[in-house]
Amino acid sequence: MRLLCKLARNPHLQPLGLLVLVIAGFVATNPSMLSVGTGASTLETFATVGPVALGLGLTMLMGEFDLSVAGIFGMAGCIAVLSGVAYPWLGLFLATGAGAMLGAVQGLIIHRLRLASIGVTLGGLLISIGVAYVLTGSSALFYDNMGVAMWMGTKWLDLLSARTAAAIVLFASMAVLVGFTRPGRDLIAAGSDRQAALVAGVDVGGLMVAVFAFSGAAAALAGVLLSYSLASASPAGLSDVLVPAATAAILGGVSLGGGAGRPLGIAAGVLVLSVMRAGFNALGAEPWISEAVMAMVLLIVAALDAPAISQSLRRLSGLQPP
Amino acid sequence: MTVPDSIGSAVDAASLWRVCVRRLHGVRRHMLVAGKWGLGLALAAEALLTPGFLELPALLSLLTTVSFIGCVAVGMTLITLGGGIMSLSLGATVGACSIVCLLVANQAGVVAGMAASVACGCVLTGAQGAMVGYLRANPIIVSIAASVLVYAIAQPITGNTAIYADVPMPKALLSTTFFGAPFEFVVFVVLVALTQLMLSFSRFGRQIYLVGTSFRAAQAARIRVGPTVLGAYAWAGAASAVAGILLALRYGRASMDVGIGMDYPAIAAVLVGGTAITGGRGSAFRTFGGVMIIGIVQVLLLLRGFRQEWQFLITGVVVLLVILLNSGAQR
Repeated sequence: MRLLCKLARNPHLQPLGLLVLVIAGFVATNPSMLSVGTGASTLETFATVGPVALGLGLTMLMGEFDLSVAGIFGMAGCIAVLSGVAYPWLGLFLATGAGAMLGAVQGLIIHRLRLASIGVTLGGLLISIGVAYVLTGSSALFYDNMGVAMWMGTKWLDLLSARTAAAIVLFASMAVLVGFTRPGRDLIAAGSDRQAALVAGVDVGGLMVAVFAFSGAAAALAGVLLSYSLASASPAGLSDVLVPAATAAILGGVSLGGGAGRPLGIAAGVLVLSVMRAGFNALGAEPWISEAVMAMVLLIVAALDAPAISQSLRRLSGLQPP
Repeated sequence: MTVPDSIGSAVDAASLWRVCVRRLHGVRRHMLVAGKWGLGLALAAEALLTPGFLELPALLSLLTTVSFIGCVAVGMTLITLGGGIMSLSLGATVGACSIVCLLVANQAGVVAGMAASVACGCVLTGAQGAMVGYLRANPIIVSIAASVLVYAIAQPITGNTAIYADVPMPKALLSTTFFGAPFEFVVFVVLVALTQLMLSFSRFGRQIYLVGTSFRAAQAARIRVGPTVLGAYAWAGAASAVAGILLALRYGRASMDVGIGMDYPAIAAVLVGGTAITGGRGSAFRTFGGVMIIGIVQVLLLLRGFRQEWQFLITGVVVLLVILLNSGAQR
């Protein structure tokens, strides 16, 4: 029992607990939900939202916020569909490169001029949306390589598509990088207390550029893979990814103050969101119900994460002497 | 106590570095000021040289289109000034307020519709202000969640279709002009003036500046922080409701779609006007300037034959440039 209490208080395990609770809740209402189909649809959402949430979450871990992921996500899809008809890998490379470049430039500006990341990434968001509109001429594009689209649609064991595999590999490598390497520890240190990290000799500027470049590249990767699998891209249609990504990151234990949250927690947060979406679909609920529930969850989590509430909660649970 | 040499020389090097950086910043500030004037003059010259810009139809359509975004931007200014960074839910508020306006107007008349619409705006954003001001929740996350919630709840109410007005719209009022300016623009200017009066001359206005400058200092000064932030948000909701009412009255129809894509231009106008995104510095007049600059740039792009899709890109570049140019003034 004491072990259970200790586990429940471990902040890195709370997202997992939430995941188990959500799954148990859905299965209790409708046992037939536990099927391969629901699992596959969960994983598809995971593959779309996951990389974006991971990138955004890492910038939040650093104490910043990258609004531009939504724009880069759409822009990358358009770039890849335009340039990757004959050589899909080239399209993937160009689009991811563009995302990484834009992210790195934003990181550099934020660090060198010590600007608020919200303002700079708002500029990046508008610019990347603009690039997508200009490239496509404001119209939806069709990807003329059905072979790739078919291959993206095949699922091993009816469950795991190439997209999902890519997202899982991304999460696993980031988890190793943040958990077991020096740059990972530096990242957590810089997010917890930037001044102290600077004094301790952490290259905060390099980290900032790297994190924003990764955030751009990850969002671009998700956008490219989604566009390939749908065999289409449009500048307007794919841009509503910011809300689920931010929700997932916060559900995954990332705090907006920086320093808290780990890649695997973010993965659990994305899974909670994906399970909820797939679950509401399987229950036959109208789309607005699942959106409203998602928004309520985000509001509640934002309130619990707020300093006024989280301090008194911590005092109540005895983690911190009053 | 003696300081080891290595540390001493490191301190010397650090102070030398700081002096160099400060000098560089001095130079940079001059360059930034020159850059701002250069940009402004270039824009004015471009406007004067573009054929058709100074003709009446272009100017009138400019004044009408900027008014809707302008009202939202005035509301956004209060949120930014009060330390709320930005709200991504004002577009949703505009849509919801336009729907409420017509739904109530169809039952109880246009005046009741307007009142209900303003009340709806105040409640929608005031609730977010309460979360931000009393609980210190993150304003951006709260506004994102609120926006999704409003769009979701609107779906069963409207059935995903537009609401049409059954009662006659006040056409006479809508077609009044003031020295040639369209009705919407007059409302926008009045809203700017009222907001600026409130900010400059009322206690509430000065408290908004103080809370935005430093939350802790405001708390220490015994300012009631929660009500101040809530009030700033509620005023922002009322301003968005004005935009919603204007849109509903002008077109006689309302839907959630009217507010889509209003948030980013509004925050862009606030930033271009020079209001600091960190809060505490700026004004409604500045936002008026920002709205006009963005409006003029968009009209110039249209007149010069750029297609619609370039506008996002150029607006983004302008926002980024202005933020970079303003960075020197903030230290």
